[in-house]
Amino acid sequence: MRNRIASLIVVLVVALAVASILRAQSASGSTPAKKVGRASARPPDLSGNWEPTATGPESLRRNTWDPDDPYGQHPEQAPMLPWAAEKWKEARPPFGAKQTFDNTNDPVQRYCDPPGVSRIYMYPWEMTFIQTPKTVYILYEFTRVWRSVAMDRDHPSDPDSTWMGDSVGKYEGDTFVIDTVGYNDKTWLDHTGHPHSDALHTIERFRRLDKDTLELSFTVDDPKAYTKSFTGKKLFKLTNSPMQETLCVYSEMQSFQQNVIDKTQTPSGK
Amino acid sequence: MKGKLFCVLVTVAGLLAFPGLAFAHHGVAGYDMTKIITLHGTVTKFDWGNPHCVIYMDAKGDTGEVQHWTMELASPAFLVRAGWSKRSLKEGDDITIETHPSRNGAPIGISSTISFILKVVVNGQPLPTRAG
Repeated sequence: MRNRIASLIVVLVVALAVASILRAQSASGSTPAKKVGRASARPPDLSGNWEPTATGPESLRRNTWDPDDPYGQHPEQAPMLPWAAEKWKEARPPFGAKQTFDNTNDPVQRYCDPPGVSRIYMYPWEMTFIQTPKTVYILYEFTRVWRSVAMDRDHPSDPDSTWMGDSVGKYEGDTFVIDTVGYNDKTWLDHTGHPHSDALHTIERFRRLDKDTLELSFTVDDPKAYTKSFTGKKLFKLTNSPMQETLCVYSEMQSFQQNVIDKTQTPSGK
Repeated sequence: MKGKLFCVLVTVAGLLAFPGLAFAHHGVAGYDMTKIITLHGTVTKFDWGNPHCVIYMDAKGDTGEVQHWTMELASPAFLVRAGWSKRSLKEGDDITIETHPSRNGAPIGISSTISFILKVVVNGQPLPTRAG
């Protein structure tokens, strides 16, 4: 009888020990975790309102993503394919080496077209992120446009061609990576009028360098328009100022164009 | 441009080291950013709205001659952040304002972008400025 009780006690002790060991292993992750896909670690905190920094090639003064020509003083040197170079020559942009007010064909200034993902970062206005597990939303002050970045899927095999493209994202440590395809070809890549095709593929890498500084590394990959991909950077700083209404309204733009801009172009100013 | 009409003509060097450096949503190509002139007169209209706020004024010269001027400013979002508001000035106010004049000699200038705000004094009170 005593031997049976002792044996039972031993079994119970062993069972409890094994159970304890198993719990410890599970907590330490030594057993394979369920594959959760894109994000299992705590995502980096991108909260706050972000505005471009004021000075330098990575500030609001940046006009192109060409790392060798951030201000757009030599836009002709971008690695354009011949058709893209010819199309660029037709651009009459308000910024950079070819800047002009004369009969500009800047689609944003002329028609209030959406600036597109690549170019919207070159405007001096703010942006903010709303991070949820399945979707990250980016709200842009300029033109009050927003994007949704899917965190739980890949691109569709045949995405539509849209102004802002199809964006999927993931976190790589402290970096938020956005991969976008499915653009239409109606926007300018930048402030100097560089074109792009509907094969444009962009990669954005957001990394919070410190509490008040956000770095964007923007890669342009468009083999139908450029001979090689290129990457430029911008810096943003945290701001307390709320995002204002900064719509692009065609009627307001037309009125301003007629009452102010056009008068700077006529010989007599009339 | 008639020199007698304006109080002061100031030359500003280096501001255009990089074209487009003095930034607006559409650039500053139509303005002479190397010059600043000062106008004095009366506000006839103040447009507070996008894409840019605009001051319209009657500027008086030394001989009493009046010229109708149009001054472009930054958008409301940026002026608000600098301390301006839609009530900063109104029709009938006395105004002294610095501006970069139009290259073609038209009575048009730019007094503010997101990078700077030139001197603007309304009824003797200076409005917030910002160095470029």
